[in-house]
Amino acid sequence: MSSAIGKQLNLLDYALSSLVRRWSKNVAIVGVFATVIFLLASFHLLTNALTRFARELLVTAPEITVQRLVAGRQESMPLAYQERLRGIFGIRRVTPRVWGYYFDERNGANYTVVGMDAKSPLAGRLASVLAEGRFPDRPGEAVLGGTLYRSLDLAGRRVFSLARPDLSRQAFTVCGVFDDSAEVLTADMLFTDLESARRLFGISPDQVTDLLVTVANPAEVQTIAAKIAELLPDTRVVTRRQIQKTYEVVFGWRSGFASVCLLAAMTAFVIFAWDRASGLSPEERREIAILKILGWETSDILIVRFWEGLLVAGIAFLLGLLAAYAHVLYFDAGLFRPLMLGWSVLRPTIRLLPSVHLADLLLLASFSVLPYLAATVVPAWRCVAVPPDAVIR
Amino acid sequence: MMRPSAWLALFLLACAAGAGVMAAHAALRADRLPQDAARLRPLVAALGLSDLCLSTEARYTRHPAVSDPMVPVMDHPGAIEHFPSGSFFIPPR
Repeated sequence: MSSAIGKQLNLLDYALSSLVRRWSKNVAIVGVFATVIFLLASFHLLTNALTRFARELLVTAPEITVQRLVAGRQESMPLAYQERLRGIFGIRRVTPRVWGYYFDERNGANYTVVGMDAKSPLAGRLASVLAEGRFPDRPGEAVLGGTLYRSLDLAGRRVFSLARPDLSRQAFTVCGVFDDSAEVLTADMLFTDLESARRLFGISPDQVTDLLVTVANPAEVQTIAAKIAELLPDTRVVTRRQIQKTYEVVFGWRSGFASVCLLAAMTAFVIFAWDRASGLSPEERREIAILKILGWETSDILIVRFWEGLLVAGIAFLLGLLAAYAHVLYFDAGLFRPLMLGWSVLRPTIRLLPSVHLADLLLLASFSVLPYLAATVVPAWRCVAVPPDAVIR
Repeated sequence: MMRPSAWLALFLLACAAGAGVMAAHAALRADRLPQDAARLRPLVAALGLSDLCLSTEARYTRHPAVSDPMVPVMDHPGAIEHFPSGSFFIPPR
């Protein structure tokens, strides 16, 4: 047993020495290979972390959201729809909401403005996520997301104004700021009362943007959603399950960027594998021939080639994976954030938490290490079948 | 003189140490995640939030859960999807 281990150690030593002899070539291969694995692993860790955020946080998303569609676009709906929903047995509460996007021409930023009844029983639970201030209890007061608050640069002032559609100004008083831990939800948010949001967007008092439906029995959500869709045929009914499902699939290998990453990695690898599979260099052939003349068995030569392949692929895999983990943990996937944020002016600061699972490691290894081993050992096997004297001559 | 395999063992040890340090940092952050999530869930419920705030440049990447697949191209007839963040998200079905 110990002699077998000793033999493998000796072969491993020989393989390492062989790699060191051609260090410049092997360092380049490890570098390129590690970069490819770094890109794939970074994307995978980033999307895993975001999906986990969504899974943890959106469990309390609205059970049913009812929105009106006109010509394929979401439009305001009559507040009277709220009364019509009261007839459906099993609905505990219907909360009207006004929300929309405000484009601030001063800095080019988009804000998400949310207006709800300040007396809503749900809204009263906001205080625990405020870094400062309180929940709005007077018309015209607003709670701002941290990033939005900083971008307004109020310099100590508490009052600011936004433009209405008719270009008149509407004043808001900052009564609170969301905590930084809520950035992942509220970075660009301006939360105010229902009437102030209506006035800002120029929506008439008998209209709302959507209705949030709370159901008495969660098992009946689908049934009630179907009843709402039947009762209000011009609406889109979104359930909590659909929201959660969106975040299970919205980040994946089929997105444009991920496809480009994957395609680039596969192309790089195919070119490399093609180069390896097309045959060994004359120097490598000579080395194998000399080893055979010295009395090495074919299996020993194949084991050495196997060790070389495993070392190059394994080291690249380790370095790529560790770099990807550090990239996501310490730099919050800084290389990918410009793409994810795009031209966003408000840039939420999100602390990501990467998590590695065995299935992820196997997936990445099957993309990288296993094909590399095959591309290394197969040409060597073809070479050892050639008589050594033919190679030496 | 050290054998080459001993250098390899040292390298693997260094990698394991690096991985251990990062795993410890991640564990510290992971400890806070359930507490933060527990504080934020009432906010999601109170405001009826449907989406994470990851990108603020386009409405279909700000709120993918309440967007339709055709939203990126419905600004005008013949419109094309042109926001960079659009390449990061898969259109919801």
